[in-house]
Amino acid sequence: MNHTSPLSPESSSVAPPHVSAATPRRVRRFSMTATSREEQFFLLLAMFIGLFSGLAVVCFRLAIDWTRIGLLGPAPQAHNLRVLFVPALVGLLVAVLVVHVFPQVRGSGVNQTKAALYIFNGYIPFRTAIGKFITAALAIGSGYSLGPEDPSLQIGASLASALGRRMEFSREKLRLLAPVGAAAGLAAAFNAPISAVLFVIEEVIGRWSAGILGSVVLSAISSVVVVRWFLGAQPLFRIPSLTVARPTELIAYAVLGLIGGIAAVIFAKSIAYFRSRLRSWPKWTQYLQPSLAGLAIGLIGYLGAPQVLGAGYQYMDQAMHDQFTWKMLAILAGLKIVATTLSFVTGTPGGMFAPTLFIGAMLGGAVGGVERLFYPHLTGSTGTYALVGMGVLFAGFLRAPMTSVFMVLEVSGNYSIIVPVIVANAVAYVISRSLQPTPIFDLLTRQDGLDLPSLEQQREENILRVEDAMQPPTGPVLNADETVREANESVQQSAADVFLVRLSPTGWSSVTRDLLKRLVSEGKGEMTLGSALPTERLPYLHPDYPLEMALRYVYQTPLVPVVSRADFRKLEGVISSEAVLNKYRVVSREDES
Amino acid sequence: MIASLAILAVLAFLFVNRLVNRFGEQEKALARHLYEQGLAEQNAGRPEGAIEDFRAALTYSRDNFQYQLSLARALRDTGRTDEAETYLISLWEHSPQDGAVNLALGRLAARQRLLDKTLQYYHNAIYGVWASDADTNRLNAWFELIEFLLRQHAYPQAQAELITLAAELPPHPDLHLRAADLFARAQDYDHALVEYQRVLRFDRGNAAALAGAGEAAFSLGRYRAAQRYLQSAARLSPGDTQASQLLQTSNLILDADPFSHRLSSTERNRRIRAAFSQAGERLDSCAQSKAIDLKTESAPSDLPALRERWGEMKTKLKRLSEDDTADAAMDLVFEIEQETSKECGAPSGLDQALLLLAQNRAGTDRAGTDRSGAER
Repeated sequence: MNHTSPLSPESSSVAPPHVSAATPRRVRRFSMTATSREEQFFLLLAMFIGLFSGLAVVCFRLAIDWTRIGLLGPAPQAHNLRVLFVPALVGLLVAVLVVHVFPQVRGSGVNQTKAALYIFNGYIPFRTAIGKFITAALAIGSGYSLGPEDPSLQIGASLASALGRRMEFSREKLRLLAPVGAAAGLAAAFNAPISAVLFVIEEVIGRWSAGILGSVVLSAISSVVVVRWFLGAQPLFRIPSLTVARPTELIAYAVLGLIGGIAAVIFAKSIAYFRSRLRSWPKWTQYLQPSLAGLAIGLIGYLGAPQVLGAGYQYMDQAMHDQFTWKMLAILAGLKIVATTLSFVTGTPGGMFAPTLFIGAMLGGAVGGVERLFYPHLTGSTGTYALVGMGVLFAGFLRAPMTSVFMVLEVSGNYSIIVPVIVANAVAYVISRSLQPTPIFDLLTRQDGLDLPSLEQQREENILRVEDAMQPPTGPVLNADETVREANESVQQSAADVFLVRLSPTGWSSVTRDLLKRLVSEGKGEMTLGSALPTERLPYLHPDYPLEMALRYVYQTPLVPVVSRADFRKLEGVISSEAVLNKYRVVSREDES
Repeated sequence: MIASLAILAVLAFLFVNRLVNRFGEQEKALARHLYEQGLAEQNAGRPEGAIEDFRAALTYSRDNFQYQLSLARALRDTGRTDEAETYLISLWEHSPQDGAVNLALGRLAARQRLLDKTLQYYHNAIYGVWASDADTNRLNAWFELIEFLLRQHAYPQAQAELITLAAELPPHPDLHLRAADLFARAQDYDHALVEYQRVLRFDRGNAAALAGAGEAAFSLGRYRAAQRYLQSAARLSPGDTQASQLLQTSNLILDADPFSHRLSSTERNRRIRAAFSQAGERLDSCAQSKAIDLKTESAPSDLPALRERWGEMKTKLKRLSEDDTADAAMDLVFEIEQETSKECGAPSGLDQALLLLAQNRAGTDRAGTDRSGAER
């Protein structure tokens, strides 16, 4: 078969558009070899990016731990004056650094990386990596309720960007490097390569792109290998034994999803509201905002909840091991929302990954505890609910549903929990979407005056397909074994000028009314159409192809056949440039109305 | 360029390695310090402080088995059983064969009075792996399990465990004495006596073993043997009042028992008459204390009927040389003693001796055969 479908395997061997058909074969081979070498080099570079990002993240984690031990002591406890005052004092220092030295390091780093990808051609200053490292380590180490993951993502992206610039990569390649570094940084911080790759695709790149998927995966794996080399292969949490005995228990997890979805909306709305309010305050208050937030967080810790200080991974671990009563878990979830909102909206550098997981774990544990109080026969432990709760908040707040599911699986290493996770996450996601249509990252970018693509919006877009614009053929469909004379006679009744010819054994061609007449007049009336027509074949489409794909062909040929996937000789319809444009016009009018 | 990157990567790797090692050492030291602080708190009777310290230690050495076990034990000892259980289960999943973890889980289950789980974890501990002093730890776990079963009045299980344990005990008198005491508490007096005798083979002058053997023999109705053990015990520990009382009762029984071997017919008849007379007095005094008219046949008690039978039997006592009469007379005595004990409570003195004889006539029969064992 000689298919020329744009997505058929054969099409990949067709010369790329910029190489003409007359290009000598050896030049073409050289070009392909050069492209292949560049791809290989890019993959190799992705490994180095992963390696350097992993090393940077290891240092970042050590810096956070050292800062915490140095500033708050080895075991921060309530009623300790250090806990009360250290965050406020460090907040002053961080504010000065952010305002005067590293203005690019405010916030989590996810949106900044996304902006670098879409607006600044992949350019992230190396200074940003240094600034993020120092300020986030200070903030998280001193007790601000922020996590190290998003800064790690930005540090990784910044390192990748710096490396790409050093290599004098093209703008296109440089743009691709930022997500590669981001995935490496995040994977290293979270010790979960699959979740990191998915998150970068869902939130940073904003679309599924096969082009850099290999590099992203490679860098994520490399960085995780490095982190595990130095810090051990154990997951972030010690996961207790998890079981879901009865399918009816899924209702309990659905309730968790419902409550988690509402909590996620409250969390997101608080951040959006207070961030916009604080940004409208006079600029000089930027020196004081982190400090005041630090004082409030310190007060929470001093008065009896030191668990909300910092990333809080050890407390999530404890929540998973039934170390808190459900009341305490609920209080911690509420206080963490307050502490994280205060930390984040004041522009203190740090991420929202860990706080989201913390809130989810506490909320999950609390909901599980209450449910077990009323229904003691439920077999799920508090740890199970805490783990599912993490995914719930992740899906509801960060609105990365796929990442949320894989994150829980990767963290727990237990696939028996997948059904409760999917149920709870789906409920939380739906609740969150209906109550808060704009995802938190999009909300933050809009507050910053930027408009970046989001996968969630793309998912909701109504994709136009070839079948939406195709029409039935206006004239008869000719067969290659007909004679030219027979064909000429059969088209006499039609008003069309161009007719499709079904070739044998397969393939399509076209012929004009004028050409048929000319062939008859040249005495070729008894020749078959197949032998009389030029050998060039028409490209064809299938009804489910995106309409934009048709645009590539409708300007080369007046009619493009749309054929069945099951039988390439069966014509489903035809598509022309006019039909495509008409469809786009109709849809545009519908959107406007 | 790749070469430069590789060199840079190697240098960075070495630098981070040094950094991580240094930090790791600091963390370990910090964890050890916090752990020791926790142990000090625990020893000072401040378990809550200990828990905080153990938790903090685990922050820096998350997978340290000893720290986790100590935290779990501290949580258990403060009554936070759920938290303790999750920690212990987590440890158990990691090392299901570990004796210390299984013992801790067993104790937790025992605290929650979960018999099956207790048995399961204690058995795991008994047959599990111990880091040091395995034999002692196993035996202690076993004894602990038996103590738990006895507290739960699960005597059959306790007896089964004890029989297995006794067979595996090393030849040490203290251990066999402990097993014998537990057998006695489990009401398995046969095995208890065997274990006490084993102790006495190691140490003939062991007062506790002698007293225990005496009690066991007494409970088995082997009063002759009991008398001899208890006499020896009383000689070694004159202050042992329980042994003295049992010895007195044994003496009474042996003096009153008309079925003892090697008794002359005259002595046997004397004992029967004395017992019969004592039973009559007991019957009268009991009826009097309960205000029962022994002449009224319709009284709601068996005492009048017994009184009537006693009167009839009294006339037959002249023909005591006939075996049937002696047996019938003693049967009536035993019946009276049992019935009056129901009506008027436990007797004392000779009545108590007669009641015990009634309850365990077979034991008295065997007393003679045990004499040689006791003398050995």
